[in-house]
Amino acid sequence: MSDRLTEATGTSLVGGAEQRSSRSLPLLLVPILGAGAVLALVPLWLGDSGVLMGVAVLGVAFACYTIGFNVIFGSTGQLFLCVGALAGTGGYGAAILAEEVGLPLMVSIAAATIASSLIGGLLSFVAVRRSLGVIFTGIITLIFSLSFEALVLGLSSLTGGDTGRLIESGADTFLRDRIPPYYLMLALALLFLFVHGLLRRSHVGWAWRALRDDEVAAELAGVDVARYRVYAAMVGGAMLGLAGATFAFTEGRISPTTFGFAEVDVVVIVMLAFGGIGSLFGPTLGAVTFTIVDEVLIEFGQLRLVAYGALVIVLFLWIPRGVIPTISDLFQRRYRIGRTPAERGASPGPEAPGSEDRG
Amino acid sequence: MLEVRGLTAGYEGGDVVHDVAFHVDRGEAVMIIGSNGAGKTTLFRSLIGLLTPSSGTVRFEGHDIAGLPAQRIVRLGVSFVPAERHLFPRMTVHENLALGSYPDRPDPDTMKRVMDLFPRLSERRRQRAGTMSGGEQQMLAMGRALMAKPRLIVLDEPTTGLAPKLAGEAYQALGELRDRGLTILVAEQQVPLAMALSDRGYVLENGAIRMEGTSAQLASDPDVQRAYLGVV
Amino acid sequence: MIANILDGIVLGLQFGLLAAGLTLVYGLGGVLNLAYGQMAVTAAMVALFAMDAGVPAFLAVLLALVAGGLAGLVLDLTVLRPVYRLHGEARVLLSLLLSLGVAFMVDGFLNWRYPLKALTLGIGGGPVEILGVPMRRGSVWASAITLLTFAALFAFFRYAALGRAVRSVIEDEEGARLVGIDPARMLRLILVLSGGLAALVAVTRSMVVAVDVQAGVSITVSALIVTVVGGLGSVAGALLAGIILGIVSIVAADLIGTYVSLIILLGAAAGTILVRPAGLLGVRD
Repeated sequence: MSDRLTEATGTSLVGGAEQRSSRSLPLLLVPILGAGAVLALVPLWLGDSGVLMGVAVLGVAFACYTIGFNVIFGSTGQLFLCVGALAGTGGYGAAILAEEVGLPLMVSIAAATIASSLIGGLLSFVAVRRSLGVIFTGIITLIFSLSFEALVLGLSSLTGGDTGRLIESGADTFLRDRIPPYYLMLALALLFLFVHGLLRRSHVGWAWRALRDDEVAAELAGVDVARYRVYAAMVGGAMLGLAGATFAFTEGRISPTTFGFAEVDVVVIVMLAFGGIGSLFGPTLGAVTFTIVDEVLIEFGQLRLVAYGALVIVLFLWIPRGVIPTISDLFQRRYRIGRTPAERGASPGPEAPGSEDRG
Repeated sequence: MLEVRGLTAGYEGGDVVHDVAFHVDRGEAVMIIGSNGAGKTTLFRSLIGLLTPSSGTVRFEGHDIAGLPAQRIVRLGVSFVPAERHLFPRMTVHENLALGSYPDRPDPDTMKRVMDLFPRLSERRRQRAGTMSGGEQQMLAMGRALMAKPRLIVLDEPTTGLAPKLAGEAYQALGELRDRGLTILVAEQQVPLAMALSDRGYVLENGAIRMEGTSAQLASDPDVQRAYLGVV
Repeated sequence: MIANILDGIVLGLQFGLLAAGLTLVYGLGGVLNLAYGQMAVTAAMVALFAMDAGVPAFLAVLLALVAGGLAGLVLDLTVLRPVYRLHGEARVLLSLLLSLGVAFMVDGFLNWRYPLKALTLGIGGGPVEILGVPMRRGSVWASAITLLTFAALFAFFRYAALGRAVRSVIEDEEGARLVGIDPARMLRLILVLSGGLAALVAVTRSMVVAVDVQAGVSITVSALIVTVVGGLGSVAGALLAGIILGIVSIVAADLIGTYVSLIILLGAAAGTILVRPAGLLGVRD
C-alpha cells in the first residue's frame, strides 16, 4: 500500500508498468487497434443523441490530453500543471490564426501545435536549468496556467474574453457534424498512443526510465537528463496542442472554461492517477472511466466533487500507482510471468517499510 | 545504568549493526571505537531513538527504551550529541542552550556552569549558531546537551571536523564532566583521545562487537594498536 | 497613487497572513495543505450561520476562529496520518494530493448545499482618513487586526517557550527531537494555528469584500503563490511577499488594467521563484 510511496523520491508515484518486450511492433499495435476498435463502436450506441455524442467527443479529447500529460509526467516526472494552458495554446492559437490572420485551417493547427510544443519545451528547459524539483515545477507551470487564463481574458478582442469566441473556419465541413469529430479525436488518441508506445521502446524511453529511477546514476551513465526531459515536454506539449486545436475546430466555439485549470488539469490528473501514471493505456482507461462516471452522476451537480475528492484520497492511499500498474503487478506476482529467470530467482517480498529520513 | 543486548538495527537496505551487546555503569566513561562504516552512528542512533532497532533490548536505569522515539528517551536523563550536531542555525547560542532544557525553563546555574566550561560560548551568547566555526558548534552542541542535566551523555564522534587543538579542548571538557560524576558514552575514530578519557571500551567492526576491555587492555592489544593507534 | 499603495497594503496584509498559515505548516512539517482555502471558507460559513441564528458578530467571529482551528486539528488527525510516515518530497506530494481530495470534498459539498452564500461583516461608520486618503472603515479594521496578529505571531515565536520550540523544529527537526520536543505535536499545534489564521483572514476579508462559498480555490492559489515567493517556512517572508505582491497588484491594475497586471504579478512571482527558489526569506528548501 503506502509502501510504494516509501520510495522516498518524488517520482515514486510515477513509473509505469515495466515495458517487457521492446521488440515486435505487433505487440504494440494490436492492443492499440483493439482498444480503438472497441471505442469505435460507441457511436453505434450513442449516435442518436447529439448531447451524448458531445460527451463522447469530450471524453476522447480528455483521453488525448491525459496521454499528453502522461508523456510529460509519467515518463520523466515533470509535474506540468498547465495541461489546459498548453491545449489552450493549441486551441486559441489555431483559432486566432485561422480566424484573424486568415491562415488555412491545417496550417493553423500545425502552427499552434508547434507553438505549444515549444512552450512545453521551454518550461521544461527552465525547470531543468534552475533545478526545480517536482513541487516547484508544479508551481511554475501553475503560474503559467494562471497567466494563460489571464492572457485569454485580457486579450478579449482576439479571444472573446470571458464569453469566448466562435470559430467559423471549418463550419461547413464534417468537423461540425455529430459523429465524425468523434472518430477524428479517436484517431488522434490512437496516434498518440502509438507514438508514446514507440518512444517507450526506443532509446528515448530507455533514457526516460533511467532518469526516473535514479537521476544521478543516469547522468553518470551518460544520459543527458536535461535533454530527455525537454524531449518529453515537447512531445507532450505537441500532443496537447494538437488535441486542443482539433477539439476547438470540432466544437466551433471556445471559451476560457474550455481549457481552464479547474476544468482540464484537475480532471486529467485524476484520470491519469486512476488509470496509472506512466502506463501506456492508463490515460485511456482513466478517461473512459471518468467520462462515463461523470455522465452518470451528472444530476448530482456539485456533489460529484465530493465523490471525486473521496476517490482521490482512496486512490492515493491504496492504489497510488493507478489501476493498470497495480493490476499488472498483482498479475505478475501471482503468475510470475513477464520476468526474466534472474528476476524470478531473486523475487522479493513486499518492501520492508523504511522510515529513514531522506528529507 | 545502560544495558544493551542483542541490538540489531539498520536501514532499508539491510541491517548495519548485528546483535550488539554492551553496558555502561554509573560514573564510567566508555568508548566505542571503530573505523568509518563500522556502524557506530547507526548504533547510537538506534540507541537514542532516532532509528528504530529491528530487535534487541536497551535498558536505561531500569526503563525499557528500545523502540521509543528520541524525544521520549531524551527526557529520561540521557542526552545525545550527534556527529552532525543538529544545532538550530538561525537561533543564537543562548537560544540554543535555553532549548536544551526543554520543557523546563533553563536553569541559570546550569547555564553558568556550561558557560564556564566553554568560555568561547559565553563570548558569543548572541551570535547565531549557524555562523560559528566547527569547534564552537561542537561545544555548543555539548553545552546544549548538558542543559538538560543528563545523567548519561552519549557523543557520536565529537571530534568530527575539529582541529587537533579544539579536539583536545573538547575532550578536556569531557574529562572535567566525568570527574564531576557524569556518565559518558562516546563513539570515536580518534582513538587516543577517547582512550585517555575512558575507563572501558568496545571495538566495533562491521556492525558487531569484536573486542572489549579496559582502556589499558585495549591499548596494549596488538590488533587494536595496528588498526587504531597507528602502530605498525 | 497613495490611495493605490494603501489599498495594496490592505490587500497585501491579507495575502501575508494567509500565506503565514500555509508557510508555517510547510516549514515545520514539510506538508502542503491545498485544502487551506476551504478551511477559510468553512470558517466564514460558520460565522455566517451563527450570525443568521442571531449570535452577536463578535461571538460569531470567535466561533469561526474555533472552527478554523478545529479544521486544522481534524486534518492532522485524519488525512495527514499516512503522510507522516513519509519524508521529504514523497511527503509533500502525498500531502498535496490528499489535501486536494479534501478540498474537492469540501468545495463540492459547500457549493452544492449553499451555493450562493457569502459572508460580509459590515463595519459601521464613515471613512477614516489615512495619509490624506479616505479609507473604508472595514479596510482599516481588517488591516489593524491583521497587523496585531502578525505582532502576536512574531512575539510568540520570539519569546514564548512554545514558540521557540516550534521554531526549533523548523530549524532542525532532529535537533528538536534531541532536546525532547515532539515534532508531531508541534505540527498539530501549527495546523490548528494555521486553521485559525485562515479563519481570521476570511473574517477580516469579509470586512472589505464579501467572501463567498466559491472563494476556496482562489484563496488557496493566492496563499500558495505568496508563500512560495516569501519563502517556505518564513512568516516574515510571507508578510513581505504579501505586501509587495499586494501593492504591485493594485498599482498595476490601476495603471494598466486588471488582466495585464495579473500577468505581471504572476510573472513577478515566477521570476522570484526562478531567481531565488528559496524565496525572499526562505528557510527550508
